[in-house]
Amino acid sequence: MTLTMTHLMALLPLIVVCATAITVMLGIAWRRHHGGTAAVTVIGIVLTLAMLLPIWTMAPVEVPLLVVDGLALFAGAMILISSLTCAALAYVYLDNYPGPREEFYLLLLCAAAGGMVLAASRHLATLFVGLELLSMPLYGMLAYAFSERRSLEAGIKYFILSAAATAFLLFGMALLYAQVGRLDLPAVAAVLGERPTAWGLAGIGLLLVGLGFKLSIVPFHLWTPDVYEGAPGPAATFLASASKVAVFVVLLRLVLSTPAFQDDWLRGVLAVLALAGMLVGNLLALVQSNLKRLLGYSSIAHFGYLLVALVVGDGLATETSGVYLLTYLVTTLGAFGVVTLLSSSYSGEDTAALHHYRGLFWRRPYLTAVLTVSLLSLAGIPFTAGFIGKFYIIALGVEAERWWLVGGIIVGSAIGLYYYLRVMVTLYLVEPGMRRRDAPRDWGGRAGGVVVLGLALLVVMLGVYPAPMIEWVRLVEHITVR
Amino acid sequence: MTLLLPLTFLLPLAGTLILAFSHTRLGERGSAWVGVISVGLAALATALLVHQFLGMPEARGVTLWTWIAVSDFQPTFGLMLDGLSLTMLGIITGVGLLIHWFAAWYMHGEEGITRFYAYMNLFVASMVLLVLGNNLLLLFLGWEGVGLCSYLLIGHYYHTAANGWAAFKAFIVTRIGDAFLAVGLFLLFRELGTLNIAEILQRAPELWAAGDPMVELTALLLLGGALGKSAQLPLHTWLADAMAGPTPVSALIHAATMVTAGVYLIARLHGVFLLAPDVLLLTGVIGALTLLAAGFAALAQTDIKRVLAYSTMSQIGYMFLALGVGGFEAAIFHLMTHSFFKALLFLSAGAVIVSCHHEQDIRRLGGLWRRLPLAYTGFVVGGAALAALPLVTAGFYSKDEILWQALASGHGELLLAGLLGALLTSLYTLRLIIGIFHGNPGSDNARRAEAGRGLAHGLPLIVLVLLSTFLGAWFEPPLVEVFPAPHEGGEGWHLALEIMASGVALAGIALGAWLFLRRGAWLADVASHGWGARLWRLWHHAWGFDAGYDRLLVRPYRGLVEWLRNDVVDAVVGLVARLAWWLHVGLARTQTGKLRLYAASMVVGATLMLLVMALAT
Repeated sequence: MTLTMTHLMALLPLIVVCATAITVMLGIAWRRHHGGTAAVTVIGIVLTLAMLLPIWTMAPVEVPLLVVDGLALFAGAMILISSLTCAALAYVYLDNYPGPREEFYLLLLCAAAGGMVLAASRHLATLFVGLELLSMPLYGMLAYAFSERRSLEAGIKYFILSAAATAFLLFGMALLYAQVGRLDLPAVAAVLGERPTAWGLAGIGLLLVGLGFKLSIVPFHLWTPDVYEGAPGPAATFLASASKVAVFVVLLRLVLSTPAFQDDWLRGVLAVLALAGMLVGNLLALVQSNLKRLLGYSSIAHFGYLLVALVVGDGLATETSGVYLLTYLVTTLGAFGVVTLLSSSYSGEDTAALHHYRGLFWRRPYLTAVLTVSLLSLAGIPFTAGFIGKFYIIALGVEAERWWLVGGIIVGSAIGLYYYLRVMVTLYLVEPGMRRRDAPRDWGGRAGGVVVLGLALLVVMLGVYPAPMIEWVRLVEHITVR
Repeated sequence: MTLLLPLTFLLPLAGTLILAFSHTRLGERGSAWVGVISVGLAALATALLVHQFLGMPEARGVTLWTWIAVSDFQPTFGLMLDGLSLTMLGIITGVGLLIHWFAAWYMHGEEGITRFYAYMNLFVASMVLLVLGNNLLLLFLGWEGVGLCSYLLIGHYYHTAANGWAAFKAFIVTRIGDAFLAVGLFLLFRELGTLNIAEILQRAPELWAAGDPMVELTALLLLGGALGKSAQLPLHTWLADAMAGPTPVSALIHAATMVTAGVYLIARLHGVFLLAPDVLLLTGVIGALTLLAAGFAALAQTDIKRVLAYSTMSQIGYMFLALGVGGFEAAIFHLMTHSFFKALLFLSAGAVIVSCHHEQDIRRLGGLWRRLPLAYTGFVVGGAALAALPLVTAGFYSKDEILWQALASGHGELLLAGLLGALLTSLYTLRLIIGIFHGNPGSDNARRAEAGRGLAHGLPLIVLVLLSTFLGAWFEPPLVEVFPAPHEGGEGWHLALEIMASGVALAGIALGAWLFLRRGAWLADVASHGWGARLWRLWHHAWGFDAGYDRLLVRPYRGLVEWLRNDVVDAVVGLVARLAWWLHVGLARTQTGKLRLYAASMVVGATLMLLVMALAT
């Protein structure tokens, strides 16, 4: 199969991101300049985002190894928006960083490219390449503040466990290859059929382990709080948003395209994992006093909720996943954005202990409003984006009559409300007299601040007027290759 | 149209946001400007809407968007404009503008003026949403929004603990009503499958026969909500205490607009209430009882604003009476004229209070008519309208309509209550005016009274003075399309009733003049000894409802809570929390930070996965 002009067009966003990465690399080699590097990164990402629009009209396009369809473009847009936010936040965060600053953007761009490949993969080889291209730069990003013990620890922990998870993933692929003899997804799906053999099921199971690790699904979740806590703000933001979205999208594609996932046992396993995620994540967060760890636990719970969509696996599943991912992404970016801004400019460990946030409202009312809106949205309160997402999940569970899962969502949300409220109350308590680290005075005028304010506005807007988002996600479903 | 209608609440909302985010940068003048102009623009939009509506008088709506769509449950952000909502809209933005403007004078030099205007604008936005929403969910949103603003504004001077408690009381008592309303809405949705008002009015008669127990229950629950919001028996106790807020707040929220929301609710859902004749009659009876109870209570108050608060309750009682006899048009008409003259009375009271250095006790005022001519004019004209003096006042036309509807529908006992209430109204109004403006000043504050100056003080008062005369009654709300035709009867009877009502009002004035001007000393003597003193105390404390509720509800409840502190139910509920805590402690043990444990957990997970897969085949 030869590459046609259409194929090239469809691949153009990927090519532009990679080209930007190379430009940044060459730029660093030529002359170091923090502002310049950040500007090139942002321009590259914005250009790519703009490019998604014309490609939208020609989707779906099937390229060898990849498919540029609705789901891939949707995930691509979300990954790029996360990357843009991370770049803007990194620019503020790294302002004062004593070590080299420019390489962070290089890693960020590479990881974004990896995520886009992953989301568009329809071949186990590209799936693997994409996953590794996403993960490798992440190790570097997590350990970016390598003079900090915790950052280094986060990087190494994620690296070792991720490598182990990849081993499971590869073994699963090998089993599938042994069974099917091919690696492209349509062929795998066709040969496995509705009732796969033991080897096929084992392969799928191990694939699930590998991907489940990245999504911090219980019992592969233990790394999450440690890594979230240690990672520098922008890196944690990327890990919590783009990385998870890309991996979830590929899992969704697997579930949608492989009838084997409709197997009752597999569904049962997914249901158990979902239930475990909701309960364990929320329970672990109960009295957590570090905001970054708390957000880590909360992400475990949220991916537990999201798995419900995969358990149901048909009907509204794609729409639900899309809406939930989008609302979760916007909310998480907002919450992590505030944490990152408060830790800017870099001076050692991030500001994440809850007592740092006591009385924040009296010093930084707008920033506190952003965090409050984000937390409300994470808790799923009406008129925020999170409510719409949670509503979809519950509606889906009710429609499929998965009562255990619905019960789990309700119990999980109730527990969640407790610890989100705990943080919110802290924000508005009387300010203690001590001086603390704080966001820079002019944070609102900086790139990161503008992005964070915009995100908070988006959270409210999506909650009050969700119709365009829902329309968009339906359109995505429409042009997705099954 | 599509743009103008949402603007009526978006503009005040924008005002709120500007004020909230200004962070005291605007200063006093700037805040007042933003607050007044945003409502002014909303009033302008309303004027244009009125112009359009009168050109083509038919109900119309704008659906902004559907919030969320789940099979039958599709709440829309939809607005509806018909004669009823247009009337309410005009009152809210028109009277609201005058009160906002007056507040610029009243609040001059006080702290927290930005906060004050932010909440006032938010109130206007919520209230407009309440009357424009084409479904009950949006109405409920506005309903809760005005409740919140009422709470925030009653507690405006939050440095005094009593004001905070008054705000609490208002919030909690109205909340009881809101709970009824919410359950009523659930019932409506369960039975009719919709919350859209037009659809409810259309489907209700198809589903229910008149007197069906289900529709009676629904109407009863809705009535509960209306009673709380409109301060009617038995949920009326909060309104008098709500006078702790600044006087413009009392004028706007606790006289002209929010407390009439209950009347609006019942009028809006008249189709449901007409199917529940027992509940409708109950509405009328409650209205009659309230108007009498509050009328007596108003006779024995010493605080200007409390007299006006009880008078408000009493007047809303008239509106409920009108609703109860099926005179919906009369109720809304009285709602409109009442908003004019009660706003005038409250603003005049505000003028007196500020001029007399925040003295509000009638006994410590007096002899002010020469010093405060504008406030005096306001009180005389407003009081005349309140007492419904024949022909020249706005109140006469609307109150007469209510009494006529009571007679024409054959509710003689309600008519009698209304006539007795009219006598009481004349008495307490005259007592108030004589107490403030005639006789000798009772304190230095009254002797050193300085009349207010400036456009912000004068113009709103003058406009409201004009509206409280027969000019105000010229605004005829375009309600013919909205409600079923009012009761008809012989013209002769109507004329006889008009004469009788006028006679009662004038008799009340004459009696009052004789009592308060000629026999003042005798009256004071009677009120301080024996039965007279007891009666005075009873009326002064508004029939002892507060103490009664304290003894009947609050204390037993507290005792019950104390008693049940360590009961089984509590232990079970506490067990859930403790269970969560134990599970948390257990799970938190796994977070050791040790890599080898994490890796081991992954291996165990993968092994389990493979085991399950092996079992599957």
